Amino acid sequence: MDIRQQKILAALENKDTSVYFKDALDNEMVLNMGPQHPATHGVLRLLIKLDGETVAACVPELGYLHRGYEKLAENCSYHEFIPHTDRLDYLSPLMNNTAYVLAVEKLLGIEAPKRAQYIRTIISEMARVSSHLLGIGALAMDVGALTVFTWTFREREKMYDIFELLTGARFTTSFTRVGGLAHDMTPDVISAVKAFFDQFPEKFNECITMLNTNRIFVERLDGVGRISKEKAIAMGMSGPNLRAVGVDCDLRKTQPYLIYNEIDFDIPVFNDGDCLSRYYVRLNEVKESVKIIRQCLEKMPAGPVHANEPKKVLPRKEQVYTKMEELIHDFMLINFGVNPPVGEVYHAVEASKGELGFYIQSRGEGHPWRLKIRSPSFMNLQSTSMLVEGGMISDIVAVLGSLDPVMGEADK
Amino acid sequence: MNDDKLLAKSEVIRVKDLTFLQRAYVFEILKGMFKAARQIFQPSFTIEYPEVRSERAASFRGRPVLVEENGVERCVACGLCARVCPALAIEVQAAPTELAKERYPEKFEINMTRCIFCGFCEEVCPEEAIIMSNEYELAFSSQQESIFGKDKLLKSAEIMKPRLDFLRDHR
Ligand code: SF4
Ligand code: SF4
Repeated sequence: MDIRQQKILAALENKDTSVYFKDALDNEMVLNMGPQHPATHGVLRLLIKLDGETVAACVPELGYLHRGYEKLAENCSYHEFIPHTDRLDYLSPLMNNTAYVLAVEKLLGIEAPKRAQYIRTIISEMARVSSHLLGIGALAMDVGALTVFTWTFREREKMYDIFELLTGARFTTSFTRVGGLAHDMTPDVISAVKAFFDQFPEKFNECITMLNTNRIFVERLDGVGRISKEKAIAMGMSGPNLRAVGVDCDLRKTQPYLIYNEIDFDIPVFNDGDCLSRYYVRLNEVKESVKIIRQCLEKMPAGPVHANEPKKVLPRKEQVYTKMEELIHDFMLINFGVNPPVGEVYHAVEASKGELGFYIQSRGEGHPWRLKIRSPSFMNLQSTSMLVEGGMISDIVAVLGSLDPVMGEADK
Repeated sequence: MNDDKLLAKSEVIRVKDLTFLQRAYVFEILKGMFKAARQIFQPSFTIEYPEVRSERAASFRGRPVLVEENGVERCVACGLCARVCPALAIEVQAAPTELAKERYPEKFEINMTRCIFCGFCEEVCPEEAIIMSNEYELAFSSQQESIFGKDKLLKSAEIMKPRLDFLRDHR
């Protein structure tokens, strides 16, 4: 029993004293939000200490979706880990596929052919658009606008049909391979992508005009969840959330990978660091992505989509059926893996949520000795408490919606 | 509206930037309701599954099946698909046979509750013996039922022709 309680008891035992509780509950309440809360975008749990309706403290608790992918990777060959990357950021699986194989390729010292790189850029940007569409739609839904959510979902759905046509699955794409792609982009898919992006700007514009001048939407986001530039950098924020505080940092420009240095695009940067800025960064990024995809489709060269590295890249099927050497390579690669040189690499790409990096340590075996995933959502969520403390409880959903975390990636 | 204008950078509109009419809200809400109501007259985007089913293209990765030709499976029980399977769903047991291929799978089982439809087995098979079908509706009432043996896996090459053609052309 602590001293305070002892004093209260002592006072109660004395019949002549009357006891007043000025503040029976210390005016603070602890609220548990999640892990099953619809506004936490997955299984995020927030422990919130409330003073009336103001948030006094907030502790995010992660790990409910932890599947141990980093440990799993140590027992997977480099090839076998590709399907696991689908399940990291499950809103843009194609982007994760690309990021992972780029890291492995860097380790192996090989490069995919030009056409494969163009296709990887197109699918990454499509993944970004689909992810941002969900991000914008879910943010609007969190602050009360349901219609826009169904509209952005409709556009995303059309895109998923294209993914299905291209990769064979809507979401578990597993499309990229070390040294190339599973298969080429067929003319059908190219025309489907073109047709989609011909009608998309207008539909997207319809969605955002519903929000941009809507007083409720703007008031719910304007000035809410503000973070300073220094703090955002210190907390390791990246991606759209970082660009919303005025830091002009995008890996596509600062460390160009794939073919981004051949493409003309802008990086939208906004300065205020509040929820509304984060929304505008995403909105403008979607537009830039559309431009990137159009340029890629125009410039895309013909040619193979697999690097000519028989000891590292799976051979083509018709050669496996007919030639002995390729058949042996097929067996060797699957049974023993690619066996990269001893060493370590880190490769990061600008994913839809921020800097998605894979750090691989190799001891020359067919599987990584250690694989670390630097997931942007995990880093972005670290600043949750800073963003919501001092604000109103109802703003928590707006802040979370504007941070756009994906728990599959944050918990790995 | 032209595309350049639609794709131009949008600047932040804050509370202070809202015009009087936008602040009054009534007009915004009417505009929104009008736009939403217009959707009623648009063709419907969804389909009434399961009454209506959409076609799956040849590139679709449904459940894996074994290709059967002239009543015999193509598989030579090399075990490569079992090795590559990230979900460890495949079990193959080889046995010798009189046929030209010399080995055949005595037992070939795929645990469909494990399979993640990744298509890796199809990609590595040196005999084009295991391929992805276009079937995606799988439901079981027991664990036993979910383990597909050869009886459920075998499909004739004629039925699987679209997928086989796709693989020839694009892989
Ligand atoms: S890889 Fe092909 S041939 Fe080998 S066991 Fe599997 S299905 Fe049979
Ligand atoms: S599709 Fe993938 S998970 Fe399923 S059996 Fe083939 S390799 Fe295994």
